[in-house]
Amino acid sequence: MSSPFAEMIPLLAMVGAFAAMTFAFKLPVSISLVGAAILGALVAGQGVPLRHLVEGTLGYLDTLLIIATAMIFMRTIQASGLLDTIAHHLITAFERRPASLLVLMMLFAMSAGMITGSSTAAVLTTGAIVAPAFMALGIPKNKTGAIIAMAGILGMIAPPVNIPVMIIGGGVDMPYIGFGLPLLILTLPLAVAIVLFLGLKSVRATSIDRSLLPLSYHRQYGWKLYLPLVMLIVLIVLERAFPRIVPSFGMPLVFMISALVAPWTGRKMNPWTVARDAVQAALPVMAILAGVGMFLQIMALTGGRGFIVSLLIGLPLGLLYLSIAVSMPLFGAVSAYGSASILGVPFVLALLGTNEIIVASALSLIAAMGDLMPPTALAGLFAAKVVEQPNYTQVLSHCLIPAGITVGVSLGYMATAGFWDRFLFWDNRLALYGILLGSIGLVCMSILMLDHWVLRHRRESVGAQL
Amino acid sequence: MTPQRKYGTWWTALFLLLLVGGVLLIVSHDFLAMRVDLPIYPGLGVTSTAMLSDYFAPLKGTAADTMAYILQGDEPGGTAFVLGGTHPNEPASSLAAIVLIESARVTRGRLVVIPRANRSAFTCSEPQEGYPQTYTIETANGSREFRYGSRGTNPVDQWPDPVIYINAAGQSLAGSEVRNLNRSYPGSPDGNLTEQLAYAIVELIRQEDVDMAIDLHEASPEYPVINAIVAHEDALNIAAEAAMFLEFEGMQIGVERSPDNLRGLSHREWGDATDTLALLVEAPNPAQGRLRGRTSVELIVEGIDPFYVRAAQRGLLYVPFFEAGHPIDERVGRHLQTIAMLLEVYNEYTDKGVVVVDVPTLSSVLEHGVGAFLLQPNTTNATN
Repeated sequence: MSSPFAEMIPLLAMVGAFAAMTFAFKLPVSISLVGAAILGALVAGQGVPLRHLVEGTLGYLDTLLIIATAMIFMRTIQASGLLDTIAHHLITAFERRPASLLVLMMLFAMSAGMITGSSTAAVLTTGAIVAPAFMALGIPKNKTGAIIAMAGILGMIAPPVNIPVMIIGGGVDMPYIGFGLPLLILTLPLAVAIVLFLGLKSVRATSIDRSLLPLSYHRQYGWKLYLPLVMLIVLIVLERAFPRIVPSFGMPLVFMISALVAPWTGRKMNPWTVARDAVQAALPVMAILAGVGMFLQIMALTGGRGFIVSLLIGLPLGLLYLSIAVSMPLFGAVSAYGSASILGVPFVLALLGTNEIIVASALSLIAAMGDLMPPTALAGLFAAKVVEQPNYTQVLSHCLIPAGITVGVSLGYMATAGFWDRFLFWDNRLALYGILLGSIGLVCMSILMLDHWVLRHRRESVGAQL
Repeated sequence: MTPQRKYGTWWTALFLLLLVGGVLLIVSHDFLAMRVDLPIYPGLGVTSTAMLSDYFAPLKGTAADTMAYILQGDEPGGTAFVLGGTHPNEPASSLAAIVLIESARVTRGRLVVIPRANRSAFTCSEPQEGYPQTYTIETANGSREFRYGSRGTNPVDQWPDPVIYINAAGQSLAGSEVRNLNRSYPGSPDGNLTEQLAYAIVELIRQEDVDMAIDLHEASPEYPVINAIVAHEDALNIAAEAAMFLEFEGMQIGVERSPDNLRGLSHREWGDATDTLALLVEAPNPAQGRLRGRTSVELIVEGIDPFYVRAAQRGLLYVPFFEAGHPIDERVGRHLQTIAMLLEVYNEYTDKGVVVVDVPTLSSVLEHGVGAFLLQPNTTNATN
């Protein structure tokens, strides 16, 4: 029997080759991933396994199509004037309630993720809609990018659709039942805290300059301006609401149909140019994903994946938590779904004996943090594109503290799974819902008080300037 | 406006296009090869064959239509059904069914065997798992190849996956499970291809009046339900008694009751939708696991993996795992002995018995190798 460390050699070769090509030879990340995968296969005595390289990439076929089409959709509704119009109306409607507006826009930004289970889709749709509004409120573009990236990730984990949890559940025969409340308890307070943490200071300091507000094209084009968005929502909701009647179109087709409507609903545009620019903008990350697919396949082929997984889940409990906190987001860099499947399932099995719903919920959120992890960093990268920041690390730097808090909260949620088990699955549902409604009421009151505090602060600032 | 960066010329594009085209042309040969069914050689016990589309006509001509082998005894009796190859990445399941087709005989009642339940899933590999496309079993007359496929229906036959899959039993699952046959029961006549396949299998159970139905599987060693029989509540007594007798014979096996709230699986839906006694049998396959080392034909056939040995030492597994591993001989042997014992126990409780003879035991498969119970590659009566 060969030593387990035999699998280390190709893995080390792959990691070393990737680092050398990326940092020493300054090659694009995607090319470095392909090169590292080929080298790993050669070192493991597999030759150049073309079939494996292509098959690895095919694992991301759906994701690649979603990225390309969501990007086209986002660029077309940007060109039609829909994004500006919605941002304009959001700000004017909630001008005197800035803290409430921040929270509402955060929840709205999350909503696409909640329905589609994809942070990319959330960032490029509802995230793109609220981004101009956040910036018009005075929040710098990098922080705005961080907010919509976090919203995309939290939306992807919030119910009703949480794909990582479904993947983990599928691996341990745990049905997707009873996750609604545990996921809401985990994600909603974090969403409120994060948007206030990232946005409140900027909103407090700045009064809205109406001349800088995005323009509204509502008067010019009327209700037809909203048609692409309505089409998107209708197609998604129809499929979810009537799964046995409405066939699955698949997210790429839904985005494409909605994008195809856009050129006839608002400002004039050249759909071909818009689509071409959108795909060009998405191309680098699509190439990285293709490379990641190859890298993963060769890791599985040569045993590098098993080496990492077996090393991580064999740690004692204290270190196990640490390894969850570090390894799941790291592995999520290649794919949050992959992290949920490859690490989430063994981690749930290693933590059996406590409430698995709470554990899987927390693990799914930690895995989702991988969408902020370079080189792919899907959420951060697309958020940067939405706010037109060419260097996505500028956006990611503002995500560091929220992401750290999120991982910490998730670990705490897991460590206190016994308490949440007794509370959330309490037989006295009336008392449970009473406590939850009371808590929501308290949060709402606090946000309303924050509104007054922000406005007072603004008035005092203006007074001081006068 | 930001200046456009120039990445190359039309010639660069043409070169890259030709390069990608060339690579795809080469690998398409490998991918297309998966669509050729490798032969099965029906033994003397097989009295007739049928296609699944005989039970549900719309399946005819689709990639999901698959062959059922019928072993009819001289004496009248009941009907048993063995389903292999639900998940083609669980090779002992399909191989045990093929051994029954090529070796077993029925003296009383009838045995229906499907070795490639999800035939479409045999035509592709699971992306990012690094699986080989075939594995080899040595027989007395040379090597014989078998397909190692995917857990789900080939996306070429059924695509796209929805974001979430709500199966015919109302269970919400991750979208990719839409192509998992063992999440699609009881199926739907107007559903997607996998649901139609599930429906056709349930129709076979109904139309053939199957008394006992056994679904063969394998699981990764870190999965809690392993070396086990999962039984619908109606079949729980038979499963428990069979497990007890198997323990007496030196084969450890657990019994699990089919969960009420885990819908779409064979052991739940077959039992609920029909009068059959529904059972599912699991064996340990390290090649499926997330902790496995190098993915290779040797791992599939010999079942030896140093990572799993270490994981077992740390108490992370639900099945013992030593240096000798869990070879395919052992896994197939376990399945065969479990099937034989389930039928034996069933026969004690009914007048409609099914007596199957020449089913190799675990010890005989371990002694001679599974290849000894397969017919030879030069046999002429092969079926695809």
